[in-house]
Amino acid sequence: MSERPDKVKVSPTKAFFVRMITRDITLEDSILDLIDNSVDGAWKTEGSRPTGLAENVNLANYVIEITANKDSFSIQDNCGGMTLEDAVEYAFSFGRREDDLTDDFSIGVYGIGMKRAVFKLGEKISIHSTTPDDKGANFAFEVPIDVNQWLGVHNGPWDFDLVDATPKENSGVTITVGDLTESTSNALGNPAFIQQLSRVIGRDYSLHLNQGLTILLNGKPVKGWDITFKSSVEFEPARLNYVDDVDGRPVSVEIIGGMAEAPPDGFEPDEKGRKQDPYGWYIICNGRVVLAADKSDISGWGDVWAKWHPQYAGFIGLLVFSAKSASDLPLTTTKRSVDRASGVFRRARPRLGQISQSWISYTNKRKTMNRAGEDRQQEIKKIEGAAKPVSVYQVQPKATLVLPNFGDNIRGEKQANIAYSVPVSKARALARGLGNQNLSYREIGLQSFEYAYDDLAGDD
Amino acid sequence: MPSFNAINYSTRPSKTIQRQLIFSCLEKLSSILALEQAVYIGFGSIWFTDFTLAHTRLGVTQMESIESDEVGFSRAKFNRPYSMVNVHFGHSNSVIPELLNDDALTDKPWIIWLDYDYGLDETVVDDVRLLVETAPENSVLLYTISAAGNKYGLPRQRPEDIRNLFGPVVPDDLSVRACRDKRLQATLAKLGLDFMSAIAADANRPGGFTPSFKIAYKDGSPMVTVGGILSSNANLADVENLISSENWNGMVVDPITAPHLTMRESACIQSLLPSDLDISRDQVKGLGFDLSDEEIAIFQRYYKQYPNFAQVVF
Repeated sequence: MSERPDKVKVSPTKAFFVRMITRDITLEDSILDLIDNSVDGAWKTEGSRPTGLAENVNLANYVIEITANKDSFSIQDNCGGMTLEDAVEYAFSFGRREDDLTDDFSIGVYGIGMKRAVFKLGEKISIHSTTPDDKGANFAFEVPIDVNQWLGVHNGPWDFDLVDATPKENSGVTITVGDLTESTSNALGNPAFIQQLSRVIGRDYSLHLNQGLTILLNGKPVKGWDITFKSSVEFEPARLNYVDDVDGRPVSVEIIGGMAEAPPDGFEPDEKGRKQDPYGWYIICNGRVVLAADKSDISGWGDVWAKWHPQYAGFIGLLVFSAKSASDLPLTTTKRSVDRASGVFRRARPRLGQISQSWISYTNKRKTMNRAGEDRQQEIKKIEGAAKPVSVYQVQPKATLVLPNFGDNIRGEKQANIAYSVPVSKARALARGLGNQNLSYREIGLQSFEYAYDDLAGDD
Repeated sequence: MPSFNAINYSTRPSKTIQRQLIFSCLEKLSSILALEQAVYIGFGSIWFTDFTLAHTRLGVTQMESIESDEVGFSRAKFNRPYSMVNVHFGHSNSVIPELLNDDALTDKPWIIWLDYDYGLDETVVDDVRLLVETAPENSVLLYTISAAGNKYGLPRQRPEDIRNLFGPVVPDDLSVRACRDKRLQATLAKLGLDFMSAIAADANRPGGFTPSFKIAYKDGSPMVTVGGILSSNANLADVENLISSENWNGMVVDPITAPHLTMRESACIQSLLPSDLDISRDQVKGLGFDLSDEEIAIFQRYYKQYPNFAQVVF
């Protein structure tokens, strides 16, 4: 009898690996992973430090340029570049090596983002890096990856080739991808995808963009989201901060929440339903938004407090974590949600509840006021209208949300609900006639009722 | 008032030039997409001008016209130019889904030209979306809308209005300036094509949507026609080659604003053509009359499509 083998084969195949790691991430998040690397580079070059809201860091020297169309994708930055040692030892290994020194206050943590992103994008990949050598002159190398060729080699190490390259003018990384996968080509050729990508970049890197970073998408600068809260004597956003710790390492936590816009007066489903709204909780890890406009049980809606309802629109809250080591942050590998098991996150969550519940209670009272007749409605409009937008950076510390305290004993006349259907074209034409073609159906109904009422039933 | 009472479709020079350009493009596409087998779908009104061209120039033998006006419907049936024209009574929003459910129609390519006589609104967006998503492969889809400011309310509200209609393809920084006066035509044209491309990509249509027609024109009121090809994957390369070739004249940069010329005037200028040089105003004066430089330039560019109208007294 032949000798029995004493091992069974376990090693993954390359093809399995590539398929698996690219399956669970969206194209959009893959592109953000590449931007994260550039941002981390800029952050490192600038001298790393916490990325909370108060820090006044100037990233005006850094430019990230993305070109995306149905044939190719590229991202080029001047954010310092990847050193030869980094490339050879760390940057291309799948998963972060234990001996890799953690980048200070970076967003990259798992050592998977760049590889996963380029595999998701296409099959002909080039990663080019320019850094200063010890004499200060520019030095460059390139890692070309032909995915099909690489997958075709079944034995031996998984290494990629590294070749000499012509240095670029500035230190930085350029990644180009050709032979796009069909789904990538389809998405990058879709004008709606590009617009949406621009919106997501503007939102998720708003802290960096507000600090001067330039991100160009197909030649057009992406504008950072200007986060503001309405403020007056009657309205003040809450702002609190504290320091938590993970095994003795500090994690700073900052929470801000308040009214970004006045809540809607009506919330019947109508033609505006297609629009995305910016309301809900945002979770930010080392400067990067990982969860945006959350209305789910992750931040607590429908779990710790009431389920989200359109009545609560107008509220925005930020939960901001900063830590020296990104592994102490509640990040998932796709950076598109939070790790709900994380201790720092679970300890922060009840504090979101206090703020959310004050808002819920305000919108409830407001609804009662709205039903109590026109005088009360005018009162709300006046109070809310007096609140002016204040930049998130200027919000003063305040343990709780300040909101108008409407009386609890409001009782109004019984109200009639009137509903009818008309052709859309006529509704729009009437909206134009009333002076605003963007009126909601509800507003068109109310205003035309008022118009007819004044004419036919009003006092002379 | 239904527009067939307001406008005699056949006597507008810019519209005629536009129609000629579109049909010359369709002729070029015909061999790739086998358009002689296509179904022609449109708003024939009582004039059926485009239907006649579809039959005589492309050889189309199956045609469906949509008419939402009751009197118009009766007159349309009376005025059908050929026996194969079917007239459907109803709004396009309800007739198009019926056509899409008719197996006898959907096994062939379609040429759909929705020549609306109003501005962009929800009903237009719904028709176009449904057709980009579900029209048979190798179809050509065109739509024409008014780009007159008075169809779009106050200028400062227009960016939001257009955003509500076209959705996420509209850039967040669309300016009020881009939505008024002459620029409204260009904005509606560009976003209309982006909208159709995005719908095709979202629906993952094999072969996608190839933007191929962008024509702004004006006979009194500014109008925009946009469209493209919903080709099969197999025909995509041929279609893209044709559209990107110099031979393709469906993407017109400047609006067509043809002058109203008498037969004598047009015949006189035409006697100087073709010419490699631009005809000057002095040359026209030399013929014994006068036109602006712009009018001369447009006539020179489109003289082959320029119509002559005459009144016939029986």
